[in-house]
Amino acid sequence: MLDLLAIVLSGLATYIERVIFLVTKKVRPPRKALRYLPLVGPAVLGAIAVPGILAPRGELSLVETIPAVIAAVLAALLWRFTKQLVIALVVALAAWWAMVFVLVQWGLR
Amino acid sequence: MPTPTRAAVLAGFRDAMLIVLGYIPFGLAAGAAMAQTDVHPLVSILGSPIIFAGASQLVAIQLLSSGSGIALVVFSVVIINARHLLYSASMEPHLEQWSRGQRLAAAFFLSDPVYALAVSRFEREQGAGTKPEQLGYYFAAGMTCLLGWTGLITIGVLLGGFIPPWVPLELAIPLTFLLLLLPLIRDRSGLVAASVGGLVALFAAPLPFGFGLMVGAIAGLIAGGIVLSRTSEEHADA
Repeated sequence: MLDLLAIVLSGLATYIERVIFLVTKKVRPPRKALRYLPLVGPAVLGAIAVPGILAPRGELSLVETIPAVIAAVLAALLWRFTKQLVIALVVALAAWWAMVFVLVQWGLR
Repeated sequence: MPTPTRAAVLAGFRDAMLIVLGYIPFGLAAGAAMAQTDVHPLVSILGSPIIFAGASQLVAIQLLSSGSGIALVVFSVVIINARHLLYSASMEPHLEQWSRGQRLAAAFFLSDPVYALAVSRFEREQGAGTKPEQLGYYFAAGMTCLLGWTGLITIGVLLGGFIPPWVPLELAIPLTFLLLLLPLIRDRSGLVAASVGGLVALFAAPLPFGFGLMVGAIAGLIAGGIVLSRTSEEHADA
């Protein structure tokens, strides 16, 4: 029950963050902060994505890090040239699985 | 329904379905990860329609499972979702013609993918379209993402125990976020914010309760902010 309450309050707080500048014209983001707001997306998403790519299982190691980095570079290139999220994600994941499979066969993982 | 409006609704549905397809690995992996915790499966599933922001849902469930208090859970979700303040500010000029009720309803759907879809639609070369077309596109895309995302999490939670441990899914989540991140990097300050945020988060990862993510994000913001203010000073000198 307490877990559900935490989720409901989290949802309410998230809604407030989404609605805050859409309620009335009187509430506008501070002018000084306005310039820096576009950096929030890159900073937060980078903080989520980069550790998961450099240390896929929570540790930096050649066997874990190199295949994941190759897959990430592949995903970025595919997105750059196709602009298709699905293609970039599926192909990069498939390439990563293939690399992991080979490493397992070689007994390196 | 007039034909242009119907076309806008269909476009919203079609574009959002593509995003939902892209979220399949992340949705299933996130659901499966939630299924590994002690939190009731129904609470994990309800998190989707209630919070509707993937990464923060996963963090909230993991914090609850590790016995964190409600205040810390809500605080962490607020920090992780702080980027939605930006979406709110960025959408404001686009929704100027909408009634307050319509804007309040639109805010509920303002997650990463819906924001991305709406901004690219409303800023495209042909213009945003008539108000009924805008409403049709936005809410069709929003409902599709909400239902699709909730469906994926539900399947992931239910199948979580059945996905064999040798199927590696760890990379699906960071790769999806990397692909959402790339279009947001438009200049050097964005690149610095993402790189510094990512590297600091990696080395701060041992911190408990997902604080590594917050420490990384704040470091990235500061580093990107320094680059941004330097760049504008150069412009001011020139």
